[in-house]
Order: sequence, then structure tokens, then C-alpha cells
Amino acid sequence: MEKENNTDRKSAGSKILASKIYPLVFLVVIVLISVSLVMVIGNMTQAKIAGQRDAEILKQLNIIFPEMTDFKYLDQYYEIYAGNDVAGFAFTVTGKGYGGDINMLAGIDTNYNVKALTILSNTETPGLGTRIEESAFTDQFKGLGLQDISLSKDGGKIDAITGATISSKAVTDALRGQLEEIIEIIKNGN
Amino acid sequence: MNQLKETTTGKKFWVEFAKGIIITNPVFVLVLGLCPTLAVTSSIDNALGMGAGVIFVLLGSNIIISLIRKITPAMVRIPVFIVVIATFVTILSLVFEAYIPPLYESLGIYLALIVVNCIILGRAEAFAQKSSVLYSIADALGIGIGFTISLLIVSFFREILGTGSLSVFGFTLFSIPVLSETPMAFFIMPPGAFLVLGLLLALFRWLGVLKNE
Repeated sequence: MEKENNTDRKSAGSKILASKIYPLVFLVVIVLISVSLVMVIGNMTQAKIAGQRDAEILKQLNIIFPEMTDFKYLDQYYEIYAGNDVAGFAFTVTGKGYGGDINMLAGIDTNYNVKALTILSNTETPGLGTRIEESAFTDQFKGLGLQDISLSKDGGKIDAITGATISSKAVTDALRGQLEEIIEIIKNGN
Repeated sequence: MNQLKETTTGKKFWVEFAKGIIITNPVFVLVLGLCPTLAVTSSIDNALGMGAGVIFVLLGSNIIISLIRKITPAMVRIPVFIVVIATFVTILSLVFEAYIPPLYESLGIYLALIVVNCIILGRAEAFAQKSSVLYSIADALGIGIGFTISLLIVSFFREILGTGSLSVFGFTLFSIPVLSETPMAFFIMPPGAFLVLGLLLALFRWLGVLKNE
């Protein structure tokens, strides 16, 4: 009798482990811990992730327009101020690349010539299409007017990246299309 | 007596650690985790990012799985492992997205796919659920670093042959004159990954055979 009692006490822990619903309860507890942990981390990083894109645009605007003192977002484009004068305009462009959307930011001066083009994000083929980010490619756009923005094989002044013609064309064509629209909007607005 | 025990524990820690890098190297010996090995080795940066991610997840999952190994019912152990691993992967991908967005973008879907990386599930099943926390840490670090080194070897050849230059975090280390002008872009593409990995596997296998003879 005493012996049995002893075994009972010893196996109290293992009885729980052996019970039929224990695996279920254990899994539920693990999932609950996991979900709450992920929610906490998600909350902590949420603002940071949302702010990331805005911060990136502001940073790039400062690089394109070093003289910028202030800027205003006017529905589809940014108006850049240096003191009281308008120094230029900037706008975001989305092109359809080989592997998905290519997001860019373009800056133009008051004569509507391109000041700079920056690739904000892309999902192109690593090592090939992603080379659209490199300054060797984006610097080609500097100083170009609307009529020159197309690939050299289409009669423009942009040399496509070897092995990444689709990505190069996507950037070039999307920029030209958007620039045309923005010029229209700015002219009508004034 | 205590001191003796400590030294053997320390020794075994290093043995488990070193094992993962060479003897049971996940890529070249165990031939595990080939999906990320083929997909993200197009540049050194991606290889480093993926390696760091896998070390973090492997360390976290090995520690937790080893801690709960005595209360985990065998019947649900695989779902439990997956939930633990997925938790660490989600945390990792949130942190990457918030603090290193360029890396988050270039790793893309492969970051989330660490969940089903067979190295991590394999170490949970084959090692962490049977071993103490200390050895599980050693195993995670060894296998994780072994995996990272493998990724670096593959991406080293692919980046040099495919772009003609080698750059780490935006700094160009060197660039080969003729090759960088007309790079063999083939090596950056998926077929290049298979070719480089296949040749490296053959090389390490050959070295292994030579050593055994």
C-alpha cells in the first residue's frame, strides 16, 4: 500500500505528460507564447518600418537638392524650395520591371530637365537587373530633357545594362511617361 | 574532480562546435539547405545576411527546443519545432525590415523560407531535442558558421565570375580589368549557381576521398 503511494507521488509529473490531451495543451501553449511574442515585436517595429520609406524619400530629396530648405507635397509631386524660390520638383515613379515593381524617385529642375534619378526599391534579378541602382546607370539621366529619355536603341540617350534590357527599359519608359504627366500637371497648375 | 568535469565539458563544447564547420558541414557534407545556397549566393552581401539570419534562428530554436525537450510530447514535436522556428524567423524578418531594409529586400522570400530550411529543422530533430542547452548552443554556432562559410565560398566565385568584381557592403574590394567590362553574367543567374555548387561539391568530395586514402 505504502509502496503504491510512493510510485503515485513520483509519477505525478509523468502522469500529466502521459495524459491524452497533454500534447494538445502543450501545442496550444507554445502557439500562444509564439503569437504574443511576435505581436510585441511587431508593435515595436511597426512605426520604424512605416517611417523607413518616408525617411528614405526625405534623405534622397536632400541629396538631389542640396540647397533644399523646405518642400511641399502637392498631390502627385514634391515642390522643392531653396529659401523663397522654387528650386525644382520631385516625384515618385513606379515601373514594371522583369521581377516586379521598380520604385524610383526623380528630381527635375525648373526647366523640366532631370537632375537625378534614384531607385528606391526593386525586385529585379540580383546582379543583373539590380544594377539599375548603380550610379553608372542612373547618372546617364542627369541633365536630360523629356525627348532624350529612352534607350539608345530606341533613339534616346540611355545605354541599357548588358543582360538587363527589360529592367533598363522599364526604368526609362516609366520615367518618361511619368515626367510627361508631371510637366503637364505643373504647367496647368501655374 | 569538478575541475576535470569542467574541462571535459569545455572540450566537448568545442568538439561539437568544430564538427559543424568541417566534419558535418551542412552544405558540402550533409548537403542540406541547398535552396538558399543556390538562391541567395549571387553576392557576398546576400550570403552574409542569410548566414547571419540562419545563425540567429538556429541558435534561438536550438536553445528553446533543448530547454523544453523533456516536456515536449513526441507526438507533436514536429509542429512544436516549426512554431518555435517560425517565431524566430518572423522576429528576424521584422527586425531586418525595420533596421536593414536593403538586405530585407535583396533576401526577399528566402528570409521567410528559413522556416522550412532543413538545416534548422534537422538540427532540432537530430540534436537539440536530445542534448543539453550548452551543447545545443555549440551545435547551432558550428552548423550556422559552417553554413555561412559555405554560402561565402559559393558567392565568392559567383560574384567574381558573374560581375568581374568583389564588393562588400558597397565597398568595392577589387575589380578584374577585362572581366568587369564583359562579365560572365551566366554565373549570377540560377544555372551558374548549380554549376558552381556542383563543382565545389565534387571538389570537396574529391578532397575527402584523397584524405581517406
